[in-house]
Amino acid sequence: MMEYARMKFYCDESRCIECDGCSIACAEAHELPVGISRRKVITINEGIPGKEFSTSVACMHCTDAPCEQVCPVDCFYIREDGIVLHDKEKCIGCGYCLYACPFGAPQFPRDGAFGAKGAMDKCTMCAGGPLETNSEKERHLYGQNRIAEGKVPLCAAMCSTKALLVGDAQSVSNIFRARVAARGKGANAPYGWDKAYKNQ
Amino acid sequence: MKKYLYMFIATLALASVAWATESQIWGEMRIQNILGYGQEESLKLGVLFTFLQSKYFAWIFLAVLIGVPTVFFVHYKLVGPKVFPHSHKKHYAFNLFHRTVHQIAAISFLVLVPTGFIIVFGDFFGGGTLVRMAKNLHGIFTIPFAIVVIPMALMWLKEALFNFEDVKWFMILGGYLSKEKQIINATQFNAGQKMWYWVAILGGITMILSGAMMFFLDFKMEMLHNLTGLSQIDLLRVAAIVHNVMGFAVVALFITHVYMSMFAIKGAVNSIITGYVEEEEVKFLHNAWYKKLKEKGKF
Ligand code: HEM
Ligand code: SF4
Ligand code: SF4
Repeated sequence: MMEYARMKFYCDESRCIECDGCSIACAEAHELPVGISRRKVITINEGIPGKEFSTSVACMHCTDAPCEQVCPVDCFYIREDGIVLHDKEKCIGCGYCLYACPFGAPQFPRDGAFGAKGAMDKCTMCAGGPLETNSEKERHLYGQNRIAEGKVPLCAAMCSTKALLVGDAQSVSNIFRARVAARGKGANAPYGWDKAYKNQ
Repeated sequence: MKKYLYMFIATLALASVAWATESQIWGEMRIQNILGYGQEESLKLGVLFTFLQSKYFAWIFLAVLIGVPTVFFVHYKLVGPKVFPHSHKKHYAFNLFHRTVHQIAAISFLVLVPTGFIIVFGDFFGGGTLVRMAKNLHGIFTIPFAIVVIPMALMWLKEALFNFEDVKWFMILGGYLSKEKQIINATQFNAGQKMWYWVAILGGITMILSGAMMFFLDFKMEMLHNLTGLSQIDLLRVAAIVHNVMGFAVVALFITHVYMSMFAIKGAVNSIITGYVEEEEVKFLHNAWYKKLKEKGKF
């Protein structure tokens, strides 16, 4: 049996230059409808010297994902590598996953009847959905399935400062530790790790 | 021509930027929305909602859905219905306005409650089209209820104020635990009906408001933030918790109301269709009202 590595996102706050490239690359690659942006760059503590930093947030693919716990139609499934995905054909667009999510990741196009919330959309870590891998329908509903093609998620692949990384937990923490050691500061875990990965 | 085209494109671009910053959830407010999550000094509403929704809400709804009808089934078998003769004199108690308003509220509830349950037990129904349809109907039938709730509140307000007699009614539970027909000294509405009035009106309005918040999701109401100190997403969490908790009470009393009018007092439901109440029924169950009507020479 193959041991699956747990996939994680890591955004290095000392490197992120708030260029917004990840967010735009994601929207273009997955041909997202207007108004949906799976990834967003935010600046925390804006204007406070020494405390201000930018980071890129999307779905973190949490351990014991809260969204999965609250969904009334149980449409989430968590892959063995930890990627949290959902079935848009089952989803009713109730919004509960958004209320549970620590990162405000789930979004809702207003394409349901009478302007009601349509099926939820969020980052798939470029791993598509429950439909046939790389089928036209999967691409249409969930965007590219780069993981199935052996490619890195696009946001991290194009990040010019290599602030945004994605990979198995072990490699990601090795890089994190190496960078902290080289800088001699900033040993705190990056924003969101405590909530998403319980600092494991 | 080209100039206009550029202007058009520029407007579009500006509009999309405006959208991004306007959003109360995913725009600039995203920071406020997510930084508070799980913080010591916050109410931890995200954690609380996740806990309640994943562990309790569906089970409590199931308990209400099975428990309340079971109690009434046992009541029906042990105590049985109260049957009043229907050939006697009647009193015209509900005019066309009363009946229309009540009937619209009734139809709305007959849709809102079952569709609410289909959403709550969405995984049982397999999600997808059926549950999505239930969600849409749930939203649509909020509108007729929202239209009639205020007229209904006003037209029955005077009858629904509690008085001292109501304490006695509660002590014997309206005489519904005995097979005999007792004379109950209630006015037009007894204490049980008054209780339902308040849950249906105040609870109903709460359900409309919390439901509307969840429907619109990305609305902007500065006032609510100032008043509560909560971020947009925390407001939505409160709405979801309130909608479920108030839902327990609304469903429990709605089932009670239906049982009383359809089964426990045989034929009582007719009064809201024809407008007429039976003399015998009024005499026994609403004696204070009966005396007043007699004085006025009714029946
Ligand atoms: C006076 C009665 C009620 C009113 C006016 C009402 C109204 C609403 C509205 C407007 C929504 C938002 C719909 C949307 O987002 O598309 C909603 C959501 C919801 N309601 Fe109700 N509701 C009522 C009773 C109930 C009851 C009795 C239940 C449970 C048995 C229930 C369960 C739910 C659930 C689970 C949701 C969230 C899912 C969703 O947003 O679609 N509701 N309600
Ligand atoms: S970040 Fe939000 S949507 Fe993504 S797994 Fe965690 S709770 Fe679910
Ligand atoms: S919006 Fe969809 S995915 Fe999210 S909790 Fe509701 S049904 Fe589940």
